[in-house]
Amino acid sequence: MKDGKEPQDGATGIDRWRKSEGKGEGRSKSRPRRKRGHRMGAHVRRYVSTLVVLVVVLGVCVFGFTPLSERITQGLDIRGGVSVIMTAKTSDGGTPSAEQMQEATSIVQQRVNSLGSSETTVQQQGSDSILIQIPGATNADEAIKTIGQTGHLEFVRLDDIGDADALAKLDAGTEDVELKDGTYEAFMDGSHITQVTVAQASNSATGTYAVNIKLDDEGTKDFAEVTKELAPTNGRIAIVLDGVVKSAPAVQSEISTGEVSITGNFSLDDANSLKTVLDSGSLPVTLTYSESRVVGPTLGQDSLTQGITAIIVGVAIVVVYLFVFYRGLGLLTLGSLGVFAVLYLGLLALLSHFGAFALTLPGLAGMVLTTGSAADSSILVLERFREEIRMGRSVKNSSVSGAKHGIMTSLDADAVTLVTAIALFAFAVGPVKGFGLTLALGIACDVVTMFCFKAPALRLLALGTIERHPKFWGVDQDLAEAARRKEEKLGKGGVANA
Amino acid sequence: MPHRRQLLSVSAVLVVLAVIGLVARGLVFGIEFQGGTEIDFRDTGSVTIEQMRGALVDAGEKDPTVQTSVTDGKAGFLVRSDTTDPNTANQHASAAAKALSLASDSYTVTTIGPDWGANVTRSSALAFGVAILLIIAFVSIRYEFKMSITAVVALLHDLVITLGVYAWTQTAITPNVVAALLTIMGYSLYDTVVEFNRVNENAKGLHDGVHRTYYQIANFSINEVIVRTINTSITSLVPVACMLALGGATLKDFAFAMLVGEVLGTYSSFAVASPLLAIWKTREPKWAKLEAKYGDGSTKVKPAAGEAE
Repeated sequence: MKDGKEPQDGATGIDRWRKSEGKGEGRSKSRPRRKRGHRMGAHVRRYVSTLVVLVVVLGVCVFGFTPLSERITQGLDIRGGVSVIMTAKTSDGGTPSAEQMQEATSIVQQRVNSLGSSETTVQQQGSDSILIQIPGATNADEAIKTIGQTGHLEFVRLDDIGDADALAKLDAGTEDVELKDGTYEAFMDGSHITQVTVAQASNSATGTYAVNIKLDDEGTKDFAEVTKELAPTNGRIAIVLDGVVKSAPAVQSEISTGEVSITGNFSLDDANSLKTVLDSGSLPVTLTYSESRVVGPTLGQDSLTQGITAIIVGVAIVVVYLFVFYRGLGLLTLGSLGVFAVLYLGLLALLSHFGAFALTLPGLAGMVLTTGSAADSSILVLERFREEIRMGRSVKNSSVSGAKHGIMTSLDADAVTLVTAIALFAFAVGPVKGFGLTLALGIACDVVTMFCFKAPALRLLALGTIERHPKFWGVDQDLAEAARRKEEKLGKGGVANA
Repeated sequence: MPHRRQLLSVSAVLVVLAVIGLVARGLVFGIEFQGGTEIDFRDTGSVTIEQMRGALVDAGEKDPTVQTSVTDGKAGFLVRSDTTDPNTANQHASAAAKALSLASDSYTVTTIGPDWGANVTRSSALAFGVAILLIIAFVSIRYEFKMSITAVVALLHDLVITLGVYAWTQTAITPNVVAALLTIMGYSLYDTVVEFNRVNENAKGLHDGVHRTYYQIANFSINEVIVRTINTSITSLVPVACMLALGGATLKDFAFAMLVGEVLGTYSSFAVASPLLAIWKTREPKWAKLEAKYGDGSTKVKPAAGEAE
């Protein structure tokens, strides 16, 4: 029955994963149960029920992870976009308190929101870092600039700026003019701002926007004083964030109410980004860039495609090799790899669903590596199985003890890898964590595959078809070797007795 | 095992070469450890390395290191520099891309701040140390003392030679490389242990009258597991090799480390670990006696009863 049917499973990729499910079903109705049920009934029933449960689980997995590209979250290095880690310090260089971090995180969140991209995440990482991810960001320069505006906001009269170069640039309308420390004196800093809003400019019909600021009492007083002096000449006030002039509006009239409106043909985006600048004046900590990764959106997808191609080509070569080497038993490896892949993807989809997993390139490397070790554990079982046949055991007994010993060895190997994976996940920082995670998950799937598919399937096959078709299953030479050894032993024994 | 002297000499030569490489050329560390910027330009068409360098210098980048790279059959460049401010780095990258009329999404820019680099170095070292110690602890608990020591010696052998390869090829060591090496070290240590297990089993229970000395038993055991070892190595190596051939920068990072580590690990498990174990075990009185008696590779067959212990 299987001889004719299963070689068709030699398809590649997802087809094979799906078919492996069908194959399991085929086995669950396996004939040996009926034929030999009276002798091995309990065992057979156990093997078969294990496989049936497995098939159900696999079905759920397939349902859960289709379509793959939606069900498995992709990390930023694959989706493309901007990923930045910023580390916070208090002004005296100490570690910020939990409250300060919360405040800083929410201010960063505001800044990121002002960029207008959806699906951004801003998370606190550890005690003093903030991870910002903006998938698909098309303007990386701007995104990074906005995130990094760490917010020492000052208001400076232009006539208090001593740097002639900078003044010339400001007059020429250059953006982001840098002021050197000590060349200017601020009359007010950002801590006096109580509220910043964006509204349509009232005195303009062209749909431009204004940024409105409310000041506290002290700020109102300072501002009134300065604007009174500057209004007659339409003098300018530079809004300086971390030493960089963000805007230098000219004073139109004295402002004594503490409600300042900055206008200047702003588009909504311009206004929002100025609002963000003003908001960040109250940031309780200074943030510095720790890590910034900018990946072009198409590049990330290319990397994913390359990685998947590598896996498919790699697995295809391995499978062909195993068929050449183990002939029919290669089906078992193929099946194991299929079961492994379905379980693995199911698990990843499940974790993605709960936001606990995102596939990154290091994670993909971990998947390639565990796919290799999943094939390894099949080889351990098959080699042990054939070795036991060579030692003269019956096919049936060899399948029981071969699978047992092979699995023991694989478990040791998995334990060693698991130690590495956990150490990486626990101690490493940055993207390497993803590698540790996929490695550990892969090992878990491999262990389940061993117990729930490899062992029962091999044992079921050994009950009938392997003995009947030793050549197809690639054990004919081992059987011959066993016979030869037996003969040799008999011959030797004869001499010893003589 | 008859070739143990040759195999150990080869290893000794490799270790010496590796040490020379480490001293003479030194290791290159990725920006993740020390801070800096890495720009990966892809699909750059006919742009030459001089043009790329020129464009970056014009953009304001001081003294960038520019290497050519090939991803997916298309030419590209890998640029490293000391810039630790992502704003500047991204501006330089986009200016250079514009100057060379490359697409605005044809590159990735990674910038690591200097403090973060120190942090990454610390945590990578910690992960590496803890993992190695745990693996050694696991192996020591699970197996005999002499075996764990020899296995660790083989592991160090792999590690030194691998680092030598990185020194000679001047490939940058990144946290990804550390992770890959660590995993492969685990594999190779495990390969060694499986082999030792078999040797142990055979030393206790193999009374076939042909293999008597520890060398002969070790040799026989290697022959028993070698098909398995080679097959498992091939199945692990093939996907990795595909990743090296087809993958982009990050995947190549992993793949190269895994490839070197896995090849060395497989080699050292039978060419270094087993001979060393056999040499050490043969010094035990019991095995020394057997070695003196049967050590010249004699194959004279005696009745099994003669071996009663």
